[in-house]
Amino acid sequence: MYLAYNTVAMEKLGKPVVMTCMKLFYDDARSAAARKGMATLRILPTPLTQRPEGEALRAGVSAIINDIVTALTKPLTAEEKSPAKEERKPARIIFKGNLQEVNWFFYKRGWAYGMPIIPPTEEAVAEMLKGTDLPGDHVVAKIPPRFGKATVEKIAVNAVMAGALPTYMPVLIAAVQALVDPGWYADCYTASIASWAPFWIINGPIRHDLHIHSGVSLMTPEWKANAAIAHAMGLIIKNLGGVRPGVEDMGAMGHEGKYNLCIAENEEESPWEPLHVEQGLKKEDSAVTVFFPNARSWLVHYGQDADGILRALCRIPYQGHLLGFGGMIMSPENAKGLANGGWTKKEVISYVRENARAPAHSVGLPSERQGGSMWTPKELMPVDPNFAVRLITTQKTFESFEPIRIIVAGRILTILYSGFMPHYGGWITKKIELPANWDQLVKKYKDIVPTYAH
Amino acid sequence: MDYEVLSPWGEVDPVPPRGILPRVTDLSGKTIGLFSFFKPVGPPLMREIERQLKERFPTAKFSHYQYPVHSVEIAEDDNYKASFEEWLKGVDTVVTGHGD
Repeated sequence: MYLAYNTVAMEKLGKPVVMTCMKLFYDDARSAAARKGMATLRILPTPLTQRPEGEALRAGVSAIINDIVTALTKPLTAEEKSPAKEERKPARIIFKGNLQEVNWFFYKRGWAYGMPIIPPTEEAVAEMLKGTDLPGDHVVAKIPPRFGKATVEKIAVNAVMAGALPTYMPVLIAAVQALVDPGWYADCYTASIASWAPFWIINGPIRHDLHIHSGVSLMTPEWKANAAIAHAMGLIIKNLGGVRPGVEDMGAMGHEGKYNLCIAENEEESPWEPLHVEQGLKKEDSAVTVFFPNARSWLVHYGQDADGILRALCRIPYQGHLLGFGGMIMSPENAKGLANGGWTKKEVISYVRENARAPAHSVGLPSERQGGSMWTPKELMPVDPNFAVRLITTQKTFESFEPIRIIVAGRILTILYSGFMPHYGGWITKKIELPANWDQLVKKYKDIVPTYAH
Repeated sequence: MDYEVLSPWGEVDPVPPRGILPRVTDLSGKTIGLFSFFKPVGPPLMREIERQLKERFPTAKFSHYQYPVHSVEIAEDDNYKASFEEWLKGVDTVVTGHGD
């Protein structure tokens, strides 16, 4: 995506360019160039893999070298000189049909995940809009990479589709604001080959108003608020950010959490200050925080005391890249075990940062072959190239200190959601603003909770 | 029962389309810019492209530039914008790579 943007920049600065890319990324490059107004940029898909070496590199370039020459020298077509302007104003009412027809229509357009949606009728959207005092045409944000306008009405349309209640609208509006915060590059996360998934964490009194779950079976998408908020945000990223799988979303393996990672923090059972207070808000504020992990590890404690828990927290597997950030979703039981042993959150994080280690021989080898890379900076790579030495030494698993957080939720165990590359930024928190009729709205929907009636 | 439904797709501010620049007619004697992005494959790929282009166009010259920052538009990067534009002035045409 950004290579396409930079290639377009060169054309705009007066130099004819041809861009090469992996075949898999051709549509992504084409879409990115079109977003910059240069849909006819010459882009050459290649048979090269992500890290070709030696003969594979030579053969790969041989296969395309004539095409490179052609792209650099062949005269322009009429379309390349003067591309036609697309005149297309999207319709507001887009379709009419029965429930099945609406679902198939949305799915075929790429506007839904592979599961049913609630039809976003005028009536349903009007009800959803009662969850905010903002007018429907208010633009909350323009979401990258497509910079689609997230108007309050569009947020409500996607919220209806996801099965959200009107009381979720304040959370969704704040979550959209978090997505476009200048503290990070959201489109890097939503579109990256590394397949990141948005993880939403809710704090403050709104957790109880909306019954956002923080206890047993935490990560099972069982709970309406948890599931619908995450689903709505997944649809918003897809439909307003314009992130389509294989086109803008180049997640190589994808991620099952793209539309279902949302929890509340169990502030009442936590021995420490809650996440949103760490992030600078007041305890009585309601807030949404987001980060984008792509990996998950179970950290099963060896004992109930601080030592047993800490040893488990340090048993983080090395997965081919040093970790750049992580969210430890830690049960109240583990948190209290640590706190009872005198540990603060910051001390726990510092201990894990220092003591989570992998055998040095397993770290950095791909990067060593390529002379070091951003994934494993040279200063963190094993100093001794002697393989025998690397067999008996260890390497820190975490690349940096700051972007690790502990969120108290769930039961009994701890799960780490993590990722490499802290460079995109992370852990954005936004305060949730409530409408004037909040208490009435909460009262209207307060009984939408499972009772498991037999 | 039929449902009349609203579109969930976001509207965007239109970007005026523009064509690309005319090509050089021949690579002989030209200076070809080879721009690689931040990933490790960029420089070795560009070196191999140079090697194979030089076999075909012995009088062509080559100039490399690697932008080591990911996920940023170089035109907005105050640390690199000046050197990038200076480099671009010295070339006749460019190959960029390798998108992944």
